[in-house]
Amino acid sequence: MEHWSRREDERLLTGAGRYVADMHVPGCLDAAFVRSDVAHGILREVDCSVACEVPGVVGAWSAAELADLPECPRSAATLQDLPPVPHTLLARLSTEEAVAGREWPVLAKDRVRYPGEALAVVVGEDRYRAEDGAAEVVVRIDPLPAVVSPSAAAADSVRLFDGLSNIAFLGEAGEPIEESVWREAAVVVEARYRQQLLMPTPMECRAILCVPEHDRLTGWSGHQMPHRLRRELAALLGWPAERIRVVVPDTGGAFGSKSAAFPEFVAVAFLAVRLNRPVRWVEDRLESMLVASRGRGQDQRVRLAADADGRLLAYELTIDADVGAYPHLGVGLPMQTAWMATGPYATPRVHAGVRSVLTNTMVTYPYRGAGRPEAAIALERSMDVLARWLGIDPAELRRRNFISPDDFPYQTPTGRRYDSGNYAAALDLALQTLDYDGWRAEQDRRRTDPDALPVGIGLSCYVERSGGEPGGLHEFVSVEAGEDGTFTARCGASPSGQSHETVFPALVAETFGVDAARVRLVEGDTDAQPDGLGSFASRSAQVDGAALQHAATLLIEQARERAAVLWGVPAQEVAWSHGTVHPVRDGSAAMDLAELVKATGPMRVDDRFEAGMAFPFGAHAAVIEVDPELGTVRVLRVVAVDDCGRVLNPMVVHGQAFGSVVQGIGQALYEGIPFDQDGVPLLANGLLDYLLPTFTEIPPIEIKGTCTPSPSTPLGAKGAGESGCIGTPAAIVNAVADALRVADPDLLQMPLTPDVVWRAARAPKLEEIQ
Amino acid sequence: MKITLTVNGEQYPLDVEPRRVLADVLREDCRLTGTHLGCEHGVCGACTVLVDGRAVRSCLMLAVQCDGGSVRTVEGLAGPDGEPHPLQRAFSAEHALQCGFCTPGFLMVAAGALERDPGIGDDPERVAALVGSNICRCTGYEPIRRAIMRAAREWPGRPT
Repeated sequence: MEHWSRREDERLLTGAGRYVADMHVPGCLDAAFVRSDVAHGILREVDCSVACEVPGVVGAWSAAELADLPECPRSAATLQDLPPVPHTLLARLSTEEAVAGREWPVLAKDRVRYPGEALAVVVGEDRYRAEDGAAEVVVRIDPLPAVVSPSAAAADSVRLFDGLSNIAFLGEAGEPIEESVWREAAVVVEARYRQQLLMPTPMECRAILCVPEHDRLTGWSGHQMPHRLRRELAALLGWPAERIRVVVPDTGGAFGSKSAAFPEFVAVAFLAVRLNRPVRWVEDRLESMLVASRGRGQDQRVRLAADADGRLLAYELTIDADVGAYPHLGVGLPMQTAWMATGPYATPRVHAGVRSVLTNTMVTYPYRGAGRPEAAIALERSMDVLARWLGIDPAELRRRNFISPDDFPYQTPTGRRYDSGNYAAALDLALQTLDYDGWRAEQDRRRTDPDALPVGIGLSCYVERSGGEPGGLHEFVSVEAGEDGTFTARCGASPSGQSHETVFPALVAETFGVDAARVRLVEGDTDAQPDGLGSFASRSAQVDGAALQHAATLLIEQARERAAVLWGVPAQEVAWSHGTVHPVRDGSAAMDLAELVKATGPMRVDDRFEAGMAFPFGAHAAVIEVDPELGTVRVLRVVAVDDCGRVLNPMVVHGQAFGSVVQGIGQALYEGIPFDQDGVPLLANGLLDYLLPTFTEIPPIEIKGTCTPSPSTPLGAKGAGESGCIGTPAAIVNAVADALRVADPDLLQMPLTPDVVWRAARAPKLEEIQ
Repeated sequence: MKITLTVNGEQYPLDVEPRRVLADVLREDCRLTGTHLGCEHGVCGACTVLVDGRAVRSCLMLAVQCDGGSVRTVEGLAGPDGEPHPLQRAFSAEHALQCGFCTPGFLMVAAGALERDPGIGDDPERVAALVGSNICRCTGYEPIRRAIMRAAREWPGRPT
């Protein structure tokens, strides 16, 4: 360990990491998918006959042909047909009502509903052969008009499912607000915001390798929820869960996008069983850019009412959400935005309405922030507009409205119960770190200097939710003491870069009072840890961490009780210290836990631990400079103050916060999916067309934190890692609005490309219309 | 087509289809899976290796183009005694990796540049150009920049 600051580092830095595509399984076949090049259409023909004759191709099937695939005599499968894609049951991300009558076939049957939808699967001796075969599949589709925005799709002039509305889900949070509130308020801000579709873009695309062995199937996948994947694969195959093992090797990033059973996964598992051979699918980037799940995707309308002193009276958020072509993964996801609409303010009336609308795009699903960025951006942009209208400093406006630290737990009008917070402290630290007053002075100076580019300062205060939703706030863990003096911790989490192997053993070791080198972590294998929920909603430190700490304390209790029996003394007369037990009174030598295990047998605690929701928060500030002639935005400085309660490892949390800020900058300034008039994404040049931030775009970023522990667990950790995606975008956009003093907030829609900014720079200023 | 690659000092006589890209041959034929494919169209740089000392995107180069050439991958960074390369130490010290998928590419881009001229550590713009050539989605790049600067400072033979 002497060279390495994380346990993960040695293998990942020496090329010894093992991702799914690195697995070497003799006889493994590669799958390639034939995909639709239109967004919407009637599927007339899929002919795989030529593809089947291509050398090295083992088979090529459309949906219809797979139904006729003869059962492999050696296979234990009794599958008759390729099962459809399952829907997400977790956290109301999807609902039975929304998916009723709307099957998501793994391979399109008679209708294509999004560009890239799979039409056929080709399996070859290697990927070159599989792709050779895929190139020979003949497809005929009669195009239909496509709808790629929720507002257009909601009119139902083009229906994705005949006889059913495109509106697949309606929801609301809070009570509707009476018209008199708006009428009587001193000021009402109204605005429309577009939360553009984003691509999560982990560096490793999706991958799955399915290996049938005897009567079991092992699925290797870079995945956030191995136990969910096991459960879903078992259901799809009609097998008991015990016959499925899911193993998560190293995972090259996920950001929320790797937690479902996707169509390709279903096909691969099905084919591995039917062919009784290992089959893998390793998505390539261009494929991923077409058919990996999207994030965000909301058209929002807001109304924000305040009195003349800037005290908030009411806030209304109306969301038309783009959930993609099938409601299966994220039709309910926009409710995360609705439930978090209140933000950090003590607004007495808040109402959020959601319409989830099917469009001819790939499915929307959680992406880092998952509904909370959309809530924070809408509210925080509106707060800055309100501040400008009232002539109140935006920091002061926020201070006047924050929920007071004395008011926690705080029940919001939109149904959340915030656990703890000190929002003003985070804002104050952000302002001080930024030198807010200094930048305001610089802004004034530049306004009087005709040669200076305008600068703008933007603030964004957020509160988010971590841990999950009721019914999914628990985790399964175990802690075991070995005869050799080591400890083994197991948990249901599944990391994709979050340093669990370093952080969790250190936490368990700290609880025991032993050296961290004595503790090892096992996760990501459903055979080694039979139950688990996984890593999503920033929950691993908060929930798994608290669970492991709890299990370790239970193991200490067990050790004391066993020693008491061994020594014939009451348990309260046995003390625990640094991995040993010793009698409190007689001063005899301590017994190492390893000795106790040898003397009394295996010692292991299995725990199902229930946490509560936690509400991390923070304040982000950005300073930008605009060139009105070029429409370019140069970010001069970003300060991010985040509060995630107890921090388990400052280096890791800092790294998460920093990387998250950069993804937030990506949403604000660069990332977006343009569509042609037929609804096909204009991304022919891949990552040259979809502009992820590179080092060239990274401004000076300063990460700071305050610490307000969560009262919901003894550990006190809240989620970290999504903060930048939630807090940073509005700070950037507000800074641009501040520089340009645009009267109409609707003109600044993300991403703030030079075109958007150039136009906004020519629009009427606030002072020109007042 | 029969070719010979020298990878990390070891000779690999190979029979490869002319269309196979270097990355696939390294990963599948040589079983050196430390080189990762992140985009397969030459943008992200995760697959960067050194061919005859120069950094190349191994997804954009055919293996047959390297016939007789010398390839260095992340597996060949550490010293013969297993001593970590200064970049490997620095990346860990600066927390310049999280998921680790893009890491081999950044390491090889930096290794190629530093081994030609360890003095680049004195030139922030050249380091910025190196970091700006690849994509990372986890770290936000700044730790990678710091790691390269640190490795340059700690380069063997550099005055401290």
